[in-house]
Amino acid sequence: MRILLADNADSFTWNLEHLLALAFRARVEVAPYPPASACGFDLLAISPGPGHPREYPAYGPLLDSGVPVLGICLGMQIINEHFGGTTDRLPDCVHGRAEAIALGDRTLAVARYHSLHAAALGRDLEVLAVNADGVVMALAHATRPLAGFQFHPESFLTEDGEHCLAFAARHLGLA
Amino acid sequence: MPLPLATSAWLDPGAFAGLAAHLARHEGADLLLSGAGWPDEDLCLAGLRPTAEHVPDPADPKPGLRAFLAAHPGPALGFLSYPLGLDLHGVPSAKPRALPPGLFRKYAALLSWRHSSGRLEILGSDPALARELARLAACPPPLPAWNPPAPAPLEASLDRPGYEAAVERALEHIRGGDVYQCTLSLRFSREFPAELGPDLLLRLWQQRPAPFMAWFRHGPLRLLSVSPERFLRLEQGRALSQPIKGTAAFREGEPGPEAALRNSPKEDAELSMIVDLMRNDLSRNCAPGSVRVDRHKAVFRLDRLLQMHSDVSGLLRPGRDGADLLLDAFPPGSVTGCPKRRALEIMERLEPHCRDIFCGCFAVLRENGDLDSSVAIRTAILDSRAGRLDFFAGSGIVVDSRPEQEYGETLAKAANFLRLEDL
Repeated sequence: MRILLADNADSFTWNLEHLLALAFRARVEVAPYPPASACGFDLLAISPGPGHPREYPAYGPLLDSGVPVLGICLGMQIINEHFGGTTDRLPDCVHGRAEAIALGDRTLAVARYHSLHAAALGRDLEVLAVNADGVVMALAHATRPLAGFQFHPESFLTEDGEHCLAFAARHLGLA
Repeated sequence: MPLPLATSAWLDPGAFAGLAAHLARHEGADLLLSGAGWPDEDLCLAGLRPTAEHVPDPADPKPGLRAFLAAHPGPALGFLSYPLGLDLHGVPSAKPRALPPGLFRKYAALLSWRHSSGRLEILGSDPALARELARLAACPPPLPAWNPPAPAPLEASLDRPGYEAAVERALEHIRGGDVYQCTLSLRFSREFPAELGPDLLLRLWQQRPAPFMAWFRHGPLRLLSVSPERFLRLEQGRALSQPIKGTAAFREGEPGPEAALRNSPKEDAELSMIVDLMRNDLSRNCAPGSVRVDRHKAVFRLDRLLQMHSDVSGLLRPGRDGADLLLDAFPPGSVTGCPKRRALEIMERLEPHCRDIFCGCFAVLRENGDLDSSVAIRTAILDSRAGRLDFFAGSGIVVDSRPEQEYGETLAKAANFLRLEDL
């Protein structure tokens, strides 16, 4: 399996590279934003990163290319905005804290690092997980292989990152 | 290529302090010293009579550094200055810089002394120089009595309203999703007789020992560091970082401050995000699955303060070396913020001064590929021409930081460092 990891000048990218390599037994190539093409890859992973999804306009064609996409944090917000969703400030932003959410058939502690969140959901996107306050923690497209996590599966604060990626893989048709 | 062992001797700590101060003052020695009481940091090094010098190329620093290390025998001592980190991350900066991007030296003679054994080794291939040093070590001049300079006014790079406005702007960047954390610092300047520099360092070594102390010369400038924090160590392919976040005042006999520090949600989050950042910076050059976090939220005491840290370690990937590890992780994540590049950009705009050596690192790069390095905090620049001491202090800004509290913390750190009267 080959994965392209697009790096939005983030400081958790290499943690994500390790997790993707282990969870998918994959070869992971890291490319800085904007990546030219995801052609020939089995999965495009969009890294977390600073700022607002509008600062990253080059992902549009990649999201429509048919290659499965997993977006983390900013990456999830980029997917959401692509389908007309909106991104707003959280009233109480959370950085470097873990909290329990239900992900599929399991409840586990996941790490949160975000000031912004998916406020309105884009077309044909489904919420897969929310936290106790109703903040979107995971979403996927109803018909296309696109999924995103607001939380950080690659953080050491997350209880079981590989379980999180296996959950995503089922929604991306990679399982 | 190692330097040959010329001779050895035994010295008690007092004699070593006198010897080190003498060598720094009269022989132009560069020093990397561990203070007493840090079982894992036992070693004190003095480099004498530089035989070769290397300034890293900010555009492509690894090949030149590797060639320099291979070309000359013995370990290299030196530093990387913080603005090199701006260059490596493509962050523009027009502020004048007092120091080169970095500086490493190899020496004709190297002195190595260990707290645990008191054994002094003199390394080098010049027999006359080794004999001269052995004679000096047999009867070193005592450390001069400490004669503190008269109190002098401190000049800060930002006044209180200016600093608090900068914190507010940093908070707005945090709320807007640009960064989770960034650090803001102040530069303080005062008059200081530079000839007291070696005495100051060795007094601090005796009275307020820190695990990573340094004295390094560059032209008329003298760099003086009393750092509690390891940046990166590489030993036999295993990389270790020990980021510190979380500080609390400590009073002798008062129970429980360790638990309060560990249980503070703010301090916990600050340390956790830097642990994830250092995991990232190690993972870039370490094998998948090998990076781990140990002793998370370990607390130690240093000079009236409690500090909290974690161990982040990993095994180098095949084909990577210390130059990859050190330069790809630079500048140290605990003093930048996260994500690192955006944090560097923000701090560069908000701080009027250049950090120079502050938040850079000191390092020893060994001939077998191992290295050890410190985060250059609690660090000063002495200008021997101007008789001036520039000292820096800063704090990490997170979403629940309050400008007035951060100002107080930064001033307290500076004042604590500059308590020169009771040394």
